[in-house]
Amino acid sequence: MSEKNYKILFLGRMFLGLVFAYSGFTKLMEPVENFQGGMTAYEIIPYVLIPFLARVIPWIEFLFGSFLILGYLPRVSALVLAVMSLSFVLLIPATRIVTGALPANCGCFGEGSLIHLKPLQVLTMDLFNTFIGMRLAFLKTHPFSLATLLETKP
Amino acid sequence: MKTNLRSILTGILLVLFLAGTIFFIKRNKPVPALPPKSVPGALGLPAALKVRGPAAAPVKIVEYSDFECPSCRVVQADIQNLFRNYPGKVQLTFKHYPLTSHKWSIYAHQAAECMNAQGKFWLYQDTLYEKQSEWAPSNVPPIEILARYARELGADMDRFGKCMADVAVARDIYAEKEEGNKRQVSATPTFFLGEERFVGPKEMQERGENAVRKVLGLPPKPVPEKKQEPGTPFFPAGIPKQQGA
Repeated sequence: MSEKNYKILFLGRMFLGLVFAYSGFTKLMEPVENFQGGMTAYEIIPYVLIPFLARVIPWIEFLFGSFLILGYLPRVSALVLAVMSLSFVLLIPATRIVTGALPANCGCFGEGSLIHLKPLQVLTMDLFNTFIGMRLAFLKTHPFSLATLLETKP
Repeated sequence: MKTNLRSILTGILLVLFLAGTIFFIKRNKPVPALPPKSVPGALGLPAALKVRGPAAAPVKIVEYSDFECPSCRVVQADIQNLFRNYPGKVQLTFKHYPLTSHKWSIYAHQAAECMNAQGKFWLYQDTLYEKQSEWAPSNVPPIEILARYARELGADMDRFGKCMADVAVARDIYAEKEEGNKRQVSATPTFFLGEERFVGPKEMQERGENAVRKVLGLPPKPVPEKKQEPGTPFFPAGIPKQQGA
């Protein structure tokens, strides 16, 4: 792989990690009910799952986002985040088709966050995130990562 | 083998560090004591403060809430308990904090502010929470439903209609929200008792009453182990509650 591509993927790793780590962090700083409220706005998510998902998703986002930034288990982290991005990509059009409407705010970041995206903006970002996450998951070595450091024999 | 062990240990340490950071920050979130400022009211009239309880009450609570938020509905029972258990000792001031993730919230807040102009804020607030599952899941702006609630409470519908169309009212609501933002409110419901902050029903249930008792010079009550599952999402009309969590 060319050095240029390598650098681009490194930046992609940082971007993907930061987006998810920040998203999880802002949600974890607020009562879980806020995120539950955000999820209920997507009317196709089964109500029975919402309390559980609202408690688990922010932790997954924060931990795997941080892992990706640091380069710990980068391939697994990238795959997890790519799958999550893909599920958001599918959720938005599915909600639009089933309910005929979309929530005003995507609910991806906490209420106190500096970022508030509309569903179509987040759809674009998640398409990009899915692509970059999949690409990173297939990359065997990751520069400036804990994984490389841990593999180095002392 | 050695590398695997190193990797696993690093992972455990990382998870502990990251989770610890979250818990630490959450625990030590700053509570700035900015004084609330009054905002001008609807239709150019001075704001009728949304206050319940006597002015001389030693316990003064400020609540930032969103009418479409399920946890704000849940916490109402705890607030009622405070008024019931400490009659004449508690005063509650309501502040609008419509969350952007709740698409009909601002309509409900505007309707409540319009009812405030007619001296019926608290009755209307109770109706909004009680019937949250009726108006919140609406596919269109629930203006007709909100107007029906106002009519049922005997509002002057001419005034109510004019007020609902007044952008100044919405501006005032957002000014109150901004005031909340300046106090670092980012979630609903958030309560301030003096400089102490309680976020969400769980904190209010676990620490709220004892904070009130502390102000009143009463000994603390033992905290109930688990009173209520907070923030169960609301259920759209037609979906039986048993299907939910």
